[in-house]
Amino acid sequence: MGYTHDTAMSQFIPPSLFHRPTGTWTTPAGQVAGTIVEHVAAADQTGLVNIPILIPSNSVALKGAYLKSIEIDYEILVAACDAFTFVINKVTRGADGAVAVVSAPAFTQTPSAANALGVDQHKAILTITTPFWIANTEYVLVEVTVNQAATTQVDFLGAVANFTLRV
Amino acid sequence: MGYVHDPHMSQYIPPTAMFGATGTYTQAAGAVTGTIAFHRAAAASTGVINIPIILPSNSVALKGVKLTSIEVDYELLLAGATSITMSLNKVTRGADTAVAVVSAVTVTQSLVANSGAETNDQHKITVTLTTPEWIDNDVYYLLVMTAVCGATVTVDILGAVANYTLRV
Repeated sequence: MGYTHDTAMSQFIPPSLFHRPTGTWTTPAGQVAGTIVEHVAAADQTGLVNIPILIPSNSVALKGAYLKSIEIDYEILVAACDAFTFVINKVTRGADGAVAVVSAPAFTQTPSAANALGVDQHKAILTITTPFWIANTEYVLVEVTVNQAATTQVDFLGAVANFTLRV
Repeated sequence: MGYVHDPHMSQYIPPTAMFGATGTYTQAAGAVTGTIAFHRAAAASTGVINIPIILPSNSVALKGVKLTSIEVDYELLLAGATSITMSLNKVTRGADTAVAVVSAVTVTQSLVANSGAETNDQHKITVTLTTPEWIDNDVYYLLVMTAVCGATVTVDILGAVANYTLRV
């Protein structure tokens, strides 16, 4: 039997899978014809957007997916955000009768927080300081805090998770 | 070239991929900070949540993915439900101009529908296929969660995990 160890795997996560409980969201066409987005209408508000990282996991240590970085493509329109920040949440699922436990792995970010909130097209890259194998009892969410000014609109085009696959 | 046969694979399915019928469903923060949920508001009715099993398939027999079980993490808040029942639908896609065909896959659930799965608590339920199935490229699976609810119970589904063998 063979064996696969591929360090260059990536997975696109469409905007339609993003979780955005705050604000008025719609799913229009993107600014570039042929693209799709999750769009939040202008409002002076702060909302959370969670991006579920859809990659495989494995019940055996050091196998499955080794998550290294996550890229998020978005556009800020009309006016800059007051803040636009990221957190990576690693969720360890609870047993029956027990709550889930959330931890926040460290990461570095480009562009910087100060440069991530202006009117422009953005590609944020979150590089996990210590990449980790994802057990079958865990999953990962990227939490984006979007603090809009009164006229700010935001379009999320999608995200891409970069990982090593070992199966 | 070798090939891969890994019986320990799993795939997280987020609540944003779920499809709710009968009731009012919203995206909400989970009870634990940092988690997310597909939330059903309180209503004395039977909610039906379809969970699409997002896995690869293969056009060659005995290759691709063999689905063995599915776990669902959910919370019943404010009160217990009357029952939580899981069933699994296998959808065979129709050819052009033909309808899809749905069949029920025999499964067992780790928590009894009205004596364990329905309590006011955090739950992790495992739905096991009696006979695991290789997923052909013309079929897909929907896990159906039927929640018989009283007037005050709310339901938060945090996510699901499909367990499978990968052979490619």
